[in-house]
Amino acid sequence: MAEYWNINDDFKDRAETFLKEKPEPAISLEFQVSKHDFNNAGNGSAELKRLLKKLGIDPVVLRKVAVASYEAEINLAAHSEGGVMKSNVHGDLVHIVFEDIGPGIEDIHKALEPGFSTAVEYVREMGFGAGLGLPNIKKNSDVMHLDSIRGRNTILEIITYFK
Amino acid sequence: MYQKNEYFHALSIKQENCTGCTACVKVCPTEAIRIRNKTIILDERRCIDCGNCIEACSFKAIVPYSDNFEIINNFKYRIAIFSTVYAGQFTEENDYETIKKTVLKLGFDEVAEESSVVDFMTEMIQKYIRDNKDIRPVLSSGCPAIVRLIQVRFPSLLPNLFHIEAPMSILSYYLREQAKEKYQYNDEEIGVFLIVPCVSQVTAVHQPEGTYKSYQDGAFSIRQIYSRAQEVVKDAWYDDKPIDTYESGLTYGIAAKEADKIDSDDIRVLSVTGIDNCIDILSRIEDHHFDQYQYVVLRSCDVGCVGGGLNVENKFIAMSRLKKLAQEENDDKLDYKEFWALNKKGKFDVPKLKPRSIMELDDNLFAALEKIQKIQKIVKQLPGINCSACGCPTCYALAEDIVQGKATIKDCVILYKQNLDKTEKKGK
Repeated sequence: MAEYWNINDDFKDRAETFLKEKPEPAISLEFQVSKHDFNNAGNGSAELKRLLKKLGIDPVVLRKVAVASYEAEINLAAHSEGGVMKSNVHGDLVHIVFEDIGPGIEDIHKALEPGFSTAVEYVREMGFGAGLGLPNIKKNSDVMHLDSIRGRNTILEIITYFK
Repeated sequence: MYQKNEYFHALSIKQENCTGCTACVKVCPTEAIRIRNKTIILDERRCIDCGNCIEACSFKAIVPYSDNFEIINNFKYRIAIFSTVYAGQFTEENDYETIKKTVLKLGFDEVAEESSVVDFMTEMIQKYIRDNKDIRPVLSSGCPAIVRLIQVRFPSLLPNLFHIEAPMSILSYYLREQAKEKYQYNDEEIGVFLIVPCVSQVTAVHQPEGTYKSYQDGAFSIRQIYSRAQEVVKDAWYDDKPIDTYESGLTYGIAAKEADKIDSDDIRVLSVTGIDNCIDILSRIEDHHFDQYQYVVLRSCDVGCVGGGLNVENKFIAMSRLKKLAQEENDDKLDYKEFWALNKKGKFDVPKLKPRSIMELDDNLFAALEKIQKIQKIVKQLPGINCSACGCPTCYALAEDIVQGKATIKDCVILYKQNLDKTEKKGK
């Protein structure tokens, strides 16, 4: 299986409607993330955080978005050949899509196990790659969808509801 | 002017001195200042009292406020408590005892020092960290500007703040109660005054955040007390009446030293100073990037309170002197038994701090979304060089102000010039 879904029960109906209807976002932000560029990785989620603060969303929700988006952005820099982080802000949720250009995840289920990491030495030395990335993202989102296969690319989308 | 407003700020604005240079606008960490027609407009809700604008102003248009010294005469029993940093201002021929006595000679009945409760504070912080294992990292609340910064810009981190009073407030409560008990004074007859290194601590005395009650009646700047002390320093030197001194806590105003005291086998401490560094670290804590630390010391001023804007001496010199004084071997030890008892009774607890959510564009989320869309459109028209000539800190801030009805696109000087050039060309 190259696909993984996790949907918070409280938002199941709303999430299904959203994913089916694909409404236009009110605001979109786009960020390029380059391979192993840890100086700039994190700027995309920082910008999104600033925007959400201006919207005045609940601090608890904000922290969830911050954690999940930061982790995912760092994942792009640490594990992929580079990619794009696209944040779509809607009236009641934020939908973030991370799409890289490869190399894909060998075993999705293993990648979701806490503590499992394929990070190379160089990345670990920078304090990343503890194997908590994907589990943390799952914990801090209402919808998580991971689609990947080795030799292709990875698409991760997360949705967090404002309330 | 400050008394009329909801928020007290320990600064005075002298509009007549403002040249419209916008130096203050650029250094404000919460974008609280605008300049329009050589007039300073301060958003009182956003200001966190960091003092950056005071430092940046070369024209004395924004100056620090502290209380008039004469107010001590309104009280029968006067207690002064001075910051650890005070002793670092004096040249080395003055021993610590003399330095402490200068404050006594200024007309106080009792003088105490922040350093006397530093060890108690350290143990209390360690206990709090161990008792609250679900809160990581715990953030120090010793710097009032940082507490306000978190309220304004990082409300999601409010639960992480150390929710117990600062050392000088603890002393204020304790000494006030003692004076009532020992000398039978009532509350109104006792005046407690702090001698502080920065404007945020003056503000904290007048408008404490999340305190049940203020135990202090005024705050004087170290600068103000230091110049008065020059007149009595000789007297203080000749006075050979013995007094208690607590030198070992004197390095508490140096953030890295405070961190060292709290650091232990099970508590890893990170120490951060300077408001920009604090903002960077807080933003990363928000992303759960620093969960490996149990405690973070955050100070708005460089190096720590020793770098406060109301000090006299250069912060590095003061730091060196404080370190030297702290090595003094004949210092006294306060018995903390009563402090622990009061702590157990919850006397030093602080109620949950509330956010000051004023960065948001609108109470209504949909309206806020619409405003952001408008802002993004306007930003595209603006030159993006953040010159501040319009009186806003950045082009984005001008766009925000336009959407909020506080400015117009005509305020942009660059666009104005471009339009002028165009009309000139057409004219030819």
